[in-house]
Amino acid sequence: MNWITGTLGSSIGKKLMMAITGFSFCGFLAAHLAGNLTIYGGKEAFNGYAAHLHALGPLLTVAELGLLTFALVHVITGLTLFLGNLKARPVRYAVNKSAGGRTVGSATMPYTGVILLAFIIFHLMNFHFVDKTDTTIFNIVANAFSNTGYVLVYIVAMVAAAIHVSHGFWSAFQTVGANHPKYMPLFRTVSIAFAVVVGIGFGFLPIYIFLLA
Amino acid sequence: MTKTINLTLKVWRQKGSKDKGRFDTYHAENISTDMSFLEMLDVVNDQLTIDGKEPIAFDHDCREGICGMCGCVVNGRAHGAEKGTTLCQLHMRHFNNGDTIAIEPFRAMAFKVIKDLAVDRSALDKIIQAGGYVSVNTGGAQDANAILVPQEVADLAMDAAQCIGCGACVASCPNASAMLFTSAKVSQLALLPQGKPEAAKRALNMVRTMDELGFGNCTNETECEAECPKEISITNIARLNREYLKAGFFSRSM
Amino acid sequence: MSQLAQRQAFATFKTHYGVAHPQPVQKGNTMALDAKIPGGPIAEKWDRHRFELKLVNPANKRKFTVIVVGTGLAGGSASATLAELGYNVKTFCIQDSPRRAHSIAAQGGINAAKNYPNDGDSIWRLFYDTVKGGDFRAREANVYRLAQVSNDIIDQCVAQGIPFARDYGGLLDNRSFGGAQVSRTFYARGQTGQQLLLGAYSALMRQVAAGKVQMFPRREMLDVVLVDGHAKGIVVRNMINGQMERHAADAVVLCTGGYGNVFFLSTNAMASNVTAAFRAYKKGAFFANPCFTQIHPTCIPVHGTFQSKLTLMSESLRNDGRVWVPKKPGDTRKPDQIPESERDYYLENKYPSFGNLVPRDVASRNAKEQCDMGKGVGETGQAVYLDFADAISRDGRDVIAKKYGNLFQMYEKITADDPYETPMMIYPAIHYTMGGLWVDYNLMSTVPGLFVLGEANFSDHGANRLGASALMQGLADGYFVLPYTIGGYLAGTAKANVTTGHKAFEESEKQVTGRIDRLMSINGKRTVDDFHKTLGRIMWEYCGMARNNEGLAMARGMIQELRAEFWENVRVPGTAADFNQSLERAGRVADFLEFGELMIIDALARQESCGGHFNEKFETEEHEALRDDDNFCHAAAWEHTGDGQEPEFHKEPLVFENVKLTQRSYK
Repeated sequence: MNWITGTLGSSIGKKLMMAITGFSFCGFLAAHLAGNLTIYGGKEAFNGYAAHLHALGPLLTVAELGLLTFALVHVITGLTLFLGNLKARPVRYAVNKSAGGRTVGSATMPYTGVILLAFIIFHLMNFHFVDKTDTTIFNIVANAFSNTGYVLVYIVAMVAAAIHVSHGFWSAFQTVGANHPKYMPLFRTVSIAFAVVVGIGFGFLPIYIFLLA
Repeated sequence: MTKTINLTLKVWRQKGSKDKGRFDTYHAENISTDMSFLEMLDVVNDQLTIDGKEPIAFDHDCREGICGMCGCVVNGRAHGAEKGTTLCQLHMRHFNNGDTIAIEPFRAMAFKVIKDLAVDRSALDKIIQAGGYVSVNTGGAQDANAILVPQEVADLAMDAAQCIGCGACVASCPNASAMLFTSAKVSQLALLPQGKPEAAKRALNMVRTMDELGFGNCTNETECEAECPKEISITNIARLNREYLKAGFFSRSM
Repeated sequence: MSQLAQRQAFATFKTHYGVAHPQPVQKGNTMALDAKIPGGPIAEKWDRHRFELKLVNPANKRKFTVIVVGTGLAGGSASATLAELGYNVKTFCIQDSPRRAHSIAAQGGINAAKNYPNDGDSIWRLFYDTVKGGDFRAREANVYRLAQVSNDIIDQCVAQGIPFARDYGGLLDNRSFGGAQVSRTFYARGQTGQQLLLGAYSALMRQVAAGKVQMFPRREMLDVVLVDGHAKGIVVRNMINGQMERHAADAVVLCTGGYGNVFFLSTNAMASNVTAAFRAYKKGAFFANPCFTQIHPTCIPVHGTFQSKLTLMSESLRNDGRVWVPKKPGDTRKPDQIPESERDYYLENKYPSFGNLVPRDVASRNAKEQCDMGKGVGETGQAVYLDFADAISRDGRDVIAKKYGNLFQMYEKITADDPYETPMMIYPAIHYTMGGLWVDYNLMSTVPGLFVLGEANFSDHGANRLGASALMQGLADGYFVLPYTIGGYLAGTAKANVTTGHKAFEESEKQVTGRIDRLMSINGKRTVDDFHKTLGRIMWEYCGMARNNEGLAMARGMIQELRAEFWENVRVPGTAADFNQSLERAGRVADFLEFGELMIIDALARQESCGGHFNEKFETEEHEALRDDDNFCHAAAWEHTGDGQEPEFHKEPLVFENVKLTQRSYK
């Protein structure tokens, strides 16, 4: 096992783990968003989607456990990298300016990451770990988003997600070594496009429900 | 034609690696805009010497942008704000009369301050020692034209090989990572047929050593590329990632 | 403006000294030096010598320690190669890393007699061109050996992964360079020196990792230690904490570069200095031909009194750039307003066959001549144009950018002028020094066990070095010559096993410390740089591109006076036991102040003109250097006889058996 921990434990190995888990989350986000869009089809469509999902049974549990593992890897590795990076520059600069390389996304990764982590816990408490015996998922959602506070929290979180993804997506390509002059500009554009889709796609839902109510 | 300007300098002064350090303020007057940044510091140091004070210590040597010895952070930018420029090639015509300039050493855990603006960059040598070479002894090399190298490959290798080892990538990286430096050497040698036999071992050992020396992790902020005086591209970092992962998972090197 | 100020400053000096007469410096004792050149035909000498040299048994090599000072092309390659052979090597450099030695700044290329372009090159032609280019003041046998190993260097460098320029088919590309009519120069864009140095550096790093080389960066060598007449160690100052350190070895190799910074303004790096070589001179190593200095024709002109160094634009630019000045003196029009018919392409007109590619000394002197006639351009009138307009319209901007992009960019950064749009302005500047410590065929100085490589020795370039030959020589000495010849010395000498406790080390350290204490205690009013600049102006004015006996004699007095003032009025701030850059410079300038006088003594003694040494009294009708082969076909080697004493002259007669001495002509 030594070579595995050796390879994955290095700075590049850690980044690889961030990239692979990050890629998975991008896939998850896309699927989640696709599912969520059924809400625009109305109550039945959305509940139907939920029922469909639950019908997967153990498969769903496996997926959930997988996501949880990936999340733990992403968070713990991210935290390790963050602390390592802090340690790598014990005395900070008095004046610090960007040379134009950083983006809002890249500069805020740890912070948008923390917001997302907090949000995911909040989100799961609200919609996942709730008693669904007497109600439908649509009602829970509709109920939650009638509250302005909830809507705001969600919008902030989705902006954070968009920012996080805007760097994470192309960065994952770079980390696995997929940087080619012909394709890199495309990855970077897709990265921004995907961020916008995630931000607006998820972010508009609470507003839509709020307006509907 | 020669214009002169007056400047206020806030310069980091630190007696040695154990001293805490502080900023001191100096006035640089009648600075010709044709001067280089280091010549401006020479003028300030001359005045300090005459006034019986200790001049500002800073590293420099060739003053034509190739030796990689000079470098400080000027107003938050490694080697100053001009693109593709070392500090010795930064000219005062890029500053305005009355400007205040903050001058700090390159800061990283792996670069200890020796004195004032001079830092110890021997960590970069250690990374090269870990494998930044082709293991050929002198003598016995075959004819130079025996192996063809496509022009494009030679050009790409040369792009990477231009690194002057100044450490600006580390200084400008928000994480003080040395990935651009390391990747430049790994790329140069991974691209050329002469470097291929040792490519796997080289990538593994150089990255391992880089990590051990206390540099930060690359998070693809691309500040290094933007600040590199030789404009070395982060495609080299991608190549290093590739080489490293390939070596880590598929080669027989440990 | 600086020119005027300089002239005024010297007017004061002149009244003070009057105009002195040339002094007869050449004294009676002219014992000929033995260069230990092997016998036999020139093409077989090196082979034969390698066979005749004693060998050190592979198992015994690890019992020997060799000190190498300097990590440029010569020092880096020698350190690595000696370590590969099995010797223990201790390598010292003045910079924070061996990768920064000033070889790194060489731009244009490296020569080799590969004849890849099939244009008629051969070892013999490279040898001939180099001897002729050096104006017949180099040692034939050394130059031939240099040409022989030139091909091995390219093979070695390619094997190290140096990304030389290639043609479309993947073969190595060559270009032509000043002083040659064949394309024999290998290059890596405009950064050939950098790439070659990084190759040697990587080989060195490999040996550091292998534990065969111990690397000591940020050390300045302040003395060579002699035990029973043999070099057995050095004393260095640790530049971080100011501590003195003693290192003992079985032989010492100096690869400490040239002394161009005696002129203050030169293309040398700021830390380049003569101290190590001069300390060796004081310990008995003869200094040869110190007056042979090279002025590089294509540098960015001086533009202010604050300037700290000059920047070279690679001579390769002369392949495509055309040198011209306005025909009419005092023409202040912008270059684009001067019509073709009113431009004087003086090199092309005067030297139709070599044109803009004449050797450096010729190109430099012609630029000076044009400026002296009032035809110089730019604010100071001390510049000529190097124009790429024709090349750009012929080959297109892209082709030119590919060849010279980084040089154009560098020029624009410094001058804020765009050479794609307006001609470059260039002027000659001090660039290289052909003189250096005298060495025999084995590269050993007159001190047994003290070897000198690269620019620090005098051997291969005579009175003028051709472009792209310095890199060749540094690497030849380090990779392919010293590793053999040092074995001959070590095998042929009884092993002494000297330790740093020896009283010779003690005395040496005491003397070095005493000198530093003296520098620290003066506490005068003028800065070190101030003295250095004054010295530089004297040297440039009187011992620069053109010299005359009156000026030289006067300059000697001026230097003596300046030196006296230095030791009474220099101010070195801070303390000795610290990182103290002023103190470092003070020590170097103190040596330059003595060395400058030696250069002048040598220049006065050589009553002829040759290559870079141009005495106005000796010129042909076409204003070319006029040699005196009957009286001066020799290397002049100077022996230190004590501080304040006249150095003693020794002569190594130069015998040319294979090349016929001719008046150089590049027409």
